[in-house]
Amino acid sequence: MIFALIILYVITLISISITERFRDYASIIAMQGWILLLIVLFKLQSIHISELIFVLTETLLFKAIIVPAMLFKIIRKTKTNHIYAIGQSQFPSLITSIIALIASIATTYYIADTATNMVFFGVALYALFSGLLLIIRRKRIFSHLVGFLVIENGVFLFSMAIGTEMPFLINIAILLDILLVVLMLGMFLSKIGNSLKSIDVDAETLTTLKN
Amino acid sequence: MLAIYFISSFTIVALLCLAKNRKTIIALSAIFYTFQLYCAGDVALNHIGETQLNFFTFDNLGALCFALLTVVSALTFYHSIRYLDTETPSQFRLYNQLLILLCSAITATYFANNLAVTWILIEATTIFAAGLIYHRRDQKSLEATWKYIFVCSTGIAIAYLGILLMSSAAIDGELSYKALASAIKSGNMLYMKIAFIFILVGYSSKMEIFPLYTVGVDANLVCPTPASALISSGLVNAGFIAIFRVFMLYKETPIFPWISNVLIVAGVASLFIGVLYLRQTNNYKRMLSYSTVENMGIVAIGLGIGGYGVYAAILHIVAHTLIKSGMFFQISQVGKKYGTYRINRINDYLKYCHIGGIAIIAGAIFLLAFPPSGLFVSELMIVRQIVILEKWWLLIVMVLMLCIAMYGVLNQVIKLSYTESKRKTTDYKIDIIGVCLSFALILSACILGIWQPEWFVEFINAILNMYEV
Repeated sequence: MIFALIILYVITLISISITERFRDYASIIAMQGWILLLIVLFKLQSIHISELIFVLTETLLFKAIIVPAMLFKIIRKTKTNHIYAIGQSQFPSLITSIIALIASIATTYYIADTATNMVFFGVALYALFSGLLLIIRRKRIFSHLVGFLVIENGVFLFSMAIGTEMPFLINIAILLDILLVVLMLGMFLSKIGNSLKSIDVDAETLTTLKN
Repeated sequence: MLAIYFISSFTIVALLCLAKNRKTIIALSAIFYTFQLYCAGDVALNHIGETQLNFFTFDNLGALCFALLTVVSALTFYHSIRYLDTETPSQFRLYNQLLILLCSAITATYFANNLAVTWILIEATTIFAAGLIYHRRDQKSLEATWKYIFVCSTGIAIAYLGILLMSSAAIDGELSYKALASAIKSGNMLYMKIAFIFILVGYSSKMEIFPLYTVGVDANLVCPTPASALISSGLVNAGFIAIFRVFMLYKETPIFPWISNVLIVAGVASLFIGVLYLRQTNNYKRMLSYSTVENMGIVAIGLGIGGYGVYAAILHIVAHTLIKSGMFFQISQVGKKYGTYRINRINDYLKYCHIGGIAIIAGAIFLLAFPPSGLFVSELMIVRQIVILEKWWLLIVMVLMLCIAMYGVLNQVIKLSYTESKRKTTDYKIDIIGVCLSFALILSACILGIWQPEWFVEFINAILNMYEV
């Protein structure tokens, strides 16, 4: 079951690299949240019940419900739904994403040791690459935000790959990280959206700080 | 003691919510900075070696940086009173609340004895610093805040990956530095290498070194200038401590030379970038920020080469904190007087404030490590260690970069002080006491270059002994 969920997670990562609409971004992030919830449910049965409840609640509330809801709200408020102003082929993005997938598999085989769950490790690495690619390749800052969320989900998956017992401190760390995500989304929603009028904001327009 | 410190800072922040006028805000904030000063003295004299609240240990390095923080933050508060003279009481109140919370988060970072706790506190500093960056509520501050939160968060997420990798070596999930120092030796060395790179990348946004140095530069540019002084000294030191503690975990491992080389590469890249942009910028605040990147590059090189370099790195941190914060305070007066920080619009400052002009020239000279600056001594020690190691390429790169920095900074600062100006200035009356206090900071770094008190040398040596350097 976990393996099937992981395959589904990889598919979401491939599809996020070729999606053309912000609405699809939000749907994929929501789907990743639910997949992570199920993975936690199946994978972390051995940990202490209070910690399991904490991780489950946090994943359900933030990753599966609140963050996607905020993304949809931003899209509704700013009324722009396309990644590019003009239509572009997504083929180069697909190729880059597949190269990232192959690189992740190769890296995992090279570095992962017996104490590490190789499948989780590889997929987490692929999530990290996918997020970074979204930040680097896409111009609009909403895509950067989604890229950050993909990295965050990758980090979450990574924590399960290492096989640590998710000590209390790491749970707190995840919670604080989520607080920052919500802060960023809130800032985007209330300030950047108002100030820059639409989601149609390229990173290149954020240049008032240039010398 | 630490519990009382945190409780008092939160209490004062809460009480500030009730403050309706500037006088009450100033009085309440002054209580905090006075108490903080007392705490710094108490920690250094009576509590070294103690562990409090489970996750905090008072060591010499933390105590040293805490002492510097108390001085810089108190002066930040003092300069902010006049700098933010047009702010409404509510804006002024929020600014002071964030400043106090930032100081508390930085202090906690200095003393954290656990890898995960350090990470959490570093993340907390992002939130409070972001509030200060957004103080002006305009387009520029919004952009800088967005970039700061976004890049810091991405960096911190990457650092978290590093912590997770490092935790694979931890015994029973114990992430205290003490436990990790022995556990790491039996870990997968490839993981440990990657972990260090991830943590270095993540914390580089705080220490303002390559690769994520940019956010610090933008933050300093947009922040109210007195707060920039705190960010480019106190917060930078927090980043330094976080990296230093992780770096020292590897000391007994076979990959320590490799880790040292990574720090040297990061240091050289920071030095190169800092020097390159120092010459190109047309803004004094940006120039000082790039100077921070340059100096932190030197610190990273010092740590990387080891030996005398480690002592030099700590001395460099102390002298840099004093000079850089002093320079930011001086520049805040210049900015208020001219209504801008643009280099091509500020001239003839000596005409308006003789002592301020001299302080800026002296500060620039000391910042460039001319004798008798404390930075001169630290850089000389680093060069000495490089010669001992016979790393000639590093020596050539470092000396070349420092020469370019000297030309760039002096050229700009001499323009500020001497070139005749026909531009109109504002009616702002320069705060001579503030100017003198920040000049005293700059001069104290100069004293460290001439004479280092025995207790000061012993204090730094105790840090080196603790890590058996």
